Amino acid sequence: MIPRSILVIGISGSLAQKTVGLLLEKYPNATIRGIDARPLPPGFGPNERLQMERIPYRRNSFERLFRDHRFDLVLNLGRFSHSQGHTPKDMARKLEFSVIGSRRILDLSLKSGVKKAVTLSTFHVYGALPDNPTSISEEMPLRASLKYPDLRHVVDMDNVVAKWMWRHQNAMDSVVLRPCNIVGPSIRNTISRYLTHPKAPYPMDFNPMMQFIHEHDMANVVAGASELLPTGIYNVAPPGGVIGLRQALKAMGNEGLPIPFFLAAWPLRLLQWPRLRVPGYLIDYLIYSCLIDSSLLHRHLPKDFFRYSVEKALQGLREASTKKRL
Amino acid sequence: MEKIGQLYGKLLESLEKEGNWAREKLDRLGLAGKPCDPWGLDPAYCLKTLRLLAPLYRQYFKVRVYGAHHVQDRPYVLVSNHSGQIAIDGLLIFMAMALDVDHPRIVRPMMERFMIKLPFVGEASLRLGGVLGDRQNCIKLLEEGQSVLVFPEGVRGVSKSTSEFYRLQPFTRGFFRMALAARKEILPIAVVGAEEFYPFVYQAKGAAKRLGLPALPITPLFPWLGPLGAVPLPSPIDIHIGPPIPVPEELGEDAPNRDMDACVLEVKRSIGGMLKAGLKKRRKFIDPKAFLKNFGVGK
Repeated sequence: MIPRSILVIGISGSLAQKTVGLLLEKYPNATIRGIDARPLPPGFGPNERLQMERIPYRRNSFERLFRDHRFDLVLNLGRFSHSQGHTPKDMARKLEFSVIGSRRILDLSLKSGVKKAVTLSTFHVYGALPDNPTSISEEMPLRASLKYPDLRHVVDMDNVVAKWMWRHQNAMDSVVLRPCNIVGPSIRNTISRYLTHPKAPYPMDFNPMMQFIHEHDMANVVAGASELLPTGIYNVAPPGGVIGLRQALKAMGNEGLPIPFFLAAWPLRLLQWPRLRVPGYLIDYLIYSCLIDSSLLHRHLPKDFFRYSVEKALQGLREASTKKRL
Repeated sequence: MEKIGQLYGKLLESLEKEGNWAREKLDRLGLAGKPCDPWGLDPAYCLKTLRLLAPLYRQYFKVRVYGAHHVQDRPYVLVSNHSGQIAIDGLLIFMAMALDVDHPRIVRPMMERFMIKLPFVGEASLRLGGVLGDRQNCIKLLEEGQSVLVFPEGVRGVSKSTSEFYRLQPFTRGFFRMALAARKEILPIAVVGAEEFYPFVYQAKGAAKRLGLPALPITPLFPWLGPLGAVPLPSPIDIHIGPPIPVPEELGEDAPNRDMDACVLEVKRSIGGMLKAGLKKRRKFIDPKAFLKNFGVGK
């Protein structure tokens, strides 16, 4: 499907901006409307084909949006940062936006004749557990919420969207993407903050294998999803991109701080690493591997689709972090 | 004093000799410079550890390998009896397959989830090639041309009291389903000597259950002497490798249990037979003269 009118939810995010850049290039006849509840990015400047709007994430706003405009592709890239807001009120807000909001966006999309919707989820939904198989396929149960209440909104959203997708598969195409750790010069997510922190505590008693995808490759997957991916759930990771946590920190030129996690994990969970803004659940992702099997995605993409190896992706992050410090 | 100095010198010389022997053998694996794999195998760490452990393998446990000619250059599901309270038998089979056969390879021992959770131990095991005992994990490895080491007796095999030594426990069927799924031969292995790492053992099953542990062996030295009490005695080890057992062509991955049971029993019998024969020719448990002779002391 070649889209002509695209809605991007969460335009203020770095990944969304990258994706919009690629979409403008890829579809010269398409117009894009980007929305966000956060302040809008100044980066794009005036562009006839791109309109941006800051709107509150409420039912009325979305209903108005879908009434006033006709879209044939909806990219839902809006996500709450896992590291922010741990009070019960914050959690309820996250749950409402992620679960009820995502469902409502899909309902409105269906009602207004959208041809395809792409929803961004995350590999965190599988959970970092000691009995994880080495490559987790899309069919594996989502076990993250068993252990981490912080991730409940993410898991519930994924479940709700997946159920919706299969129920309405004959009426509308939809795709759920579960990417591995996204890193790059402009992404400031939890894992990037962790990896670039000069005193990042890492376990001296565990060394989980990790996957990283460069922001450009990820944006390319999102931008290409409308044409290349049929309805379904896809794990997103570059081919062969696996590296141990310690090796990743080394590739970042980061000495880190080795500590025995078998003693320190609980205090760290309780403290939530305030200076690092690293949430408690991440500790388990630094202890046990959570590797996703992205073979289903690779079947649908051209062979040379991914441009960045794991080392190059980390190098990009390292260069950006060094520049920032200078 | 002079005697102690002499013994220390001989010990160092012996360690160097064993390290050199291992280095030559390990070159055949072609692991140098390879990156880590998704299961966590770290080739550089693996080679280093094998070199370090070689003296222990050759001089402390004095491992002998019988039937090495049965191992050809292809992937197998290695199936062995489990014994010795801690999984050193797995490590010794792993080392034998890397050092003492004509077609060496890094076998991937299947590990209990409990092991993965252990700090340091879990990490070291994964870096050495261990994998979580998940069937899909292992089928993937076999399909990639790697060999997998399975202990179908599980924890029941490794945690036996003295009265049950060398008595094979019931085999689970998972290993056979794996072999059927990947259509790979089964290589039966019997380890003789590992039961005597801790000759007198009482399994405190009730306490283990309460503490959430898979087993809690009580020996004359453990847990009374702490970690020191867990050091295994230098029992000489014989590893017997039997002829490979092919999986029946007519059986598929989803074959009913009743059709598979005869095949599982055949594997168990093969290992049981090797154990029985192996016990007849096993070496003395402790032979101080031979031990000292290894280091050139005494006649």
